[in-house]
Amino acid sequence: MKKLIARRMIFAIAMVIAASALAFAVVAAAPGNVAALIAERIAGPSATAELVRQIADDLGLNDPLPLRYLSWLNNAATGDFGSSLRSGKPISEEFAQRLPVTATLIVCGGIIALVMSLSFGVLGAIDNGGIVDRLLRPVALVSASAPNFFVAAILVLIFSVSLGWLPAFGTGSIGSWIMPSLSVALFPGAVLSRVVRINLQDTMSRPFATTGFSKGFSRPAVLLREALPNIAVPFLTTFGAQLTLMIIGAIIVETVFALNGIGSFFIEVIRFRDFIGMQAVLLLFIAFSVSVNLVVDILCMFIDPQLRRRTNA
Amino acid sequence: MLNVLRWAGRLPWRILAPIVLFILVALFAPLIAPYKPGVQDYSALLLPPGPAHWFGTDYLGRDLFSRVVMGARVSLVAMSTVLASALFIGVVVGSFAGYVGGRIELVMISFIDVVLCVPSLIIALAFIGIFGAGYWTMVGALTMAWWANYARMSRAVVASEIGQPYIEAARVMGASHLWIYVKHLLPHVLSLVVVYASADAGALVLAIATLSFLSLGVQPPIPEWGQMLVDGMSYLEESPRLVIVPGIALTLVVISFNLLGEHFALKKVPKPLPRRRLTRLMEARRTEEEMLSRQETIG
Repeated sequence: MKKLIARRMIFAIAMVIAASALAFAVVAAAPGNVAALIAERIAGPSATAELVRQIADDLGLNDPLPLRYLSWLNNAATGDFGSSLRSGKPISEEFAQRLPVTATLIVCGGIIALVMSLSFGVLGAIDNGGIVDRLLRPVALVSASAPNFFVAAILVLIFSVSLGWLPAFGTGSIGSWIMPSLSVALFPGAVLSRVVRINLQDTMSRPFATTGFSKGFSRPAVLLREALPNIAVPFLTTFGAQLTLMIIGAIIVETVFALNGIGSFFIEVIRFRDFIGMQAVLLLFIAFSVSVNLVVDILCMFIDPQLRRRTNA
Repeated sequence: MLNVLRWAGRLPWRILAPIVLFILVALFAPLIAPYKPGVQDYSALLLPPGPAHWFGTDYLGRDLFSRVVMGARVSLVAMSTVLASALFIGVVVGSFAGYVGGRIELVMISFIDVVLCVPSLIIALAFIGIFGAGYWTMVGALTMAWWANYARMSRAVVASEIGQPYIEAARVMGASHLWIYVKHLLPHVLSLVVVYASADAGALVLAIATLSFLSLGVQPPIPEWGQMLVDGMSYLEESPRLVIVPGIALTLVVISFNLLGEHFALKKVPKPLPRRRLTRLMEARRTEEEMLSRQETIG
């Protein structure tokens, strides 16, 4: 078991290194001279070729690419991502300010999606074929198809413009987090509720569910006692995938609600073609995706003995 | 001909209908739209819906209905371009990996897996960051973000099919690699990947709208739903329909593709069975029966 987890962790680290190397190489190969951009910012239009060369030397831009990647990764591991090409401020400072915003958004969104999907999925399964079940399906379909930014706009229209209950932007109060979290959570919540519903249906036809019925339990009791624990693995796997997809939700929602998080920073960095900032944010996103997958895999191994034995053999 | 008709009859028409409608609207958009989508009319700013302008006009006096209809065409064209190029790259790369096998396959799979570990829209955004915003950068960026999925699928199909005896037989008979691939493997790859891609088209329409919403995709004055929506955000209080109408159009298109995807996921995909394969199957069964009956008479 320990060996299995260790192997999985080494694989995850290799994945981060490979993916970040790819991202680094692609961004480094981009047209446009980083040194010239920095020189222009420092000295204005009077930047000389001499200055450009000096900056390139200082940053190690003339070194071979693998060497540059290694020194960049080494610095990044100690929290030094270099300075933004746009503002000149260290990127680690930006991260320190913005990370809590995005983290709050993803955690709140994740919790809402979790509660929403489990309750709707179980409700649908209990009502099997009834009016609630038949109503939940189109609701989930629409929620899983409506674009994030449209959902956010509709929420603003209802709760800010018409009712005036919630602020349309900023992070001033607790209330200002409600709409951003909801807009991030709706899509994963809808997708997950379908996963819960379909997998519960599947599990209810298995022999152990029949055993539950023959013991005299009611349908809801069998659902909660026998079926629900058995859908943990597909649920967790999809939840992990949706959690990584929430980065995209955060990028859009932070832009709509003018939140200063990592997502809106990524868009700023893209608009200004700040290559150093882009490399840093991409590394952050890659590390997040890979670690979510790692945690999900390890959790699944703990939950499902079948999975453990199969991978052990 | 009869076979084609029979196959078409088995298609899920009730689910395909909204998609067909979307394609028809996109194809005939210039005929449907009563106004040119870019024409500004300063005497008709922000008009409410009426007989002259079905959905009203926007802040430049442009007819909203015409712009939404033309937006369907922009979406369809961009989506098909990306889908076609991503499919081409994915099928070629994936099939190659599956066909050559060995160490090259391993390296290529690892590369594909590394690409797939990052959400596709982030890959697209990174490419736009490198090459700057614009229509063609968007198409290229989305292609770069989408091909890996198809590559993984094509590889899996080729790898599972290549061990079959009939491939071995073709090889022994002296068929070239290209012949074996095009004649025997490509149909298998396409029948799976194209079906998957057709359901995936909704996600692509959404991605195009999202990039345009972030003003990193289709640029104004070309009418695109995501870009129209972000344009209308400043008028959310006075004229919410500038946001609601393109948003609903976009959502409806995505819903119809997602319905198709759900249909494919739940039911078996209708595959066109080539006539020749059908006769071959029947022949095989007949000879089997003949041999069995002969055995009985001998016994």
